[in-house]
Amino acid sequence: MSEEATSAETSKASAKASDTTTAKRSPIIVCRKIVRSFWRAKERLDVLDELDLEIAEGSFEALMGPSGSGKTTLLNLIAGLDRPTSGTLTVAGTEVSAMGDAALARWRSQTIGFVFQHFNLIPVLTALENVELPLLLTSLGSSERKKRAQIALRVVGLEDRMHHRPQQLSGGQEQRVGIARAIVHDPKIIVADEPTGELDRKSADEVLHLLERLNKEFDKTILMVTHDPAAAERATVLRKLDKGKLL
Amino acid sequence: MVPIRYNVRNLLVRRTTTMAAALGVGLVVFVLAASLMLNEGLARTLDQSGSADTAIVLRKGSDSEMPSSVEDKAISLIKVAPGVKSSSDGQPLVLGEVVVVLFQDLANGKGKSNATLRGMPLDRVQVFRPEVKIIEGRMAAPGTDEVVVGARVVGRFKGFEIGQSLDLRKARPVKVVGIFEANGSSFESEVWGDIEYVRSAFGREAVVSSVRVKLESPAVFDGFEVAVERDKQLGLEVLAEPDFYRKQSENTSIFIIAMGTLIAVFFSIGAMIGAMITMYGSVAHRKREIGVLRALGFSRSAIMFSFLLESVLLALLGASLGTLASLGMGLVKFSMLNFTTFSEITFQFTATPEIILRSIIFGGVMGVLGGFLPAIRAARTAPIEAMKG
Repeated sequence: MSEEATSAETSKASAKASDTTTAKRSPIIVCRKIVRSFWRAKERLDVLDELDLEIAEGSFEALMGPSGSGKTTLLNLIAGLDRPTSGTLTVAGTEVSAMGDAALARWRSQTIGFVFQHFNLIPVLTALENVELPLLLTSLGSSERKKRAQIALRVVGLEDRMHHRPQQLSGGQEQRVGIARAIVHDPKIIVADEPTGELDRKSADEVLHLLERLNKEFDKTILMVTHDPAAAERATVLRKLDKGKLL
Repeated sequence: MVPIRYNVRNLLVRRTTTMAAALGVGLVVFVLAASLMLNEGLARTLDQSGSADTAIVLRKGSDSEMPSSVEDKAISLIKVAPGVKSSSDGQPLVLGEVVVVLFQDLANGKGKSNATLRGMPLDRVQVFRPEVKIIEGRMAAPGTDEVVVGARVVGRFKGFEIGQSLDLRKARPVKVVGIFEANGSSFESEVWGDIEYVRSAFGREAVVSSVRVKLESPAVFDGFEVAVERDKQLGLEVLAEPDFYRKQSENTSIFIIAMGTLIAVFFSIGAMIGAMITMYGSVAHRKREIGVLRALGFSRSAIMFSFLLESVLLALLGASLGTLASLGMGLVKFSMLNFTTFSEITFQFTATPEIILRSIIFGGVMGVLGGFLPAIRAARTAPIEAMKG
């Protein structure tokens, strides 16, 4: 993909963003002067460098950039998997940068749905049991958990595969189970790290279509890291990151 | 909480390493359970030899019948002590017995060992030991050179079969005319003959090793004890028969338990290291899975509990196999030297619900100790591991 094409795509997506609901709604993710540093030997490496970002509730945003640009690091911070070295990060009204480990785990279980590049299903559990996992952290009873997990699998079109183990599913089906697991507890935000990275085009399109549906029909805020321009095309906003800064 | 099926299925998926670690734990539990069963078998065998309404009188300071010596004239005094029961014809129920060791060839030709020979008035056996039953042949006749042999030593020593003869001493042969059972008690490891014949063979005329006294009831024991022990010149000591047999098993019991525990503890260190390596391997193999669980919101303590539980399940599987295998030992007869009497006693491995429970709990504790450090490592897994490729 040439630089001009990418730039044109960015503008197109940005334009799309301006005429969607994004402008009308308050931000659900607010990053202020976020720095995330790592130490390699005695050298400090600022992967994110005083980054400011606002993401509106209900938006579907794609984050692109070259390897090492800091996109996954940013996604990890927003998802509460990591903490910034400095700066403040407020997600869904909670300042996650100031939270302790246990509180952050609780917060993640209520607020964030994860879609991973490698699907990350638990191999010894069935599709239904995998989807049920986030509900084990709620006060719901067993039958209600099962009912909701079945509904989530129905949403992703895998109702007939609920008793299959991950190794009995295709890659596309595994990712759809992953999406069902991400939505079953009705989180406000879904973070997706290269959700189509391991899929063929057809399966990737199905997964992207699902994410679009979740955004439009279920009003989920989606933040997706991707290298795939076709995937980024589906987002309402495309942001580019390079050397720890938004372009 | 992470569902238990997650742990169970992970153990099943890694069935080879699971079985290897479980068998390590199982071996330790087998050793422990077997030693506890052995001890129980010994205690039960000796316990069954005693009756609560029977007192045993020994020379003061003797810890068994073998070194004890009570003169016949003392028996006359014992007969008139308070609390002694009398038979229907008014005779006091007092029985003097002489107990000596026979150094006999083993039937398998692998050397010699000690067997206990008890000389007694054979016509009084049923009064003092009603549980005794002749299961083959007949009872030895009083005043003769006949003997009967306990069921547990038949075939253990040369000459202990019906129709065979054995030498008590040089030119003092006796004939085996019967085999008896005594409700699984230690008497089944003895040879019984006529008291006068035995005394004469061993030059112990006018003395016995012990005196058994039937009391009117267990409640009169204290009075009887005081009356007999009061006469310092006699120098006698009185014990209730169950207490006597408990003391008989003390040294052997300590040996069995100490050996069993020592071996189990040494083995358990190896087995725990085995379980620990298995669990460390499991944690390393499932790092991303753990990261996913952490990312989904499972707390560090939930992860730690889950892996600790997995380790305990692994150990309990091993403990169950070890305990099950040890139950098979119940079919095995075991002969060993009683360290108090220095003669052989034969008994069986005896399982009780308490022994089974203790063995399985011991296995569970091994699981906790072996799984603790791997569980901590699992709990320390950062949720960000879920995002790594």
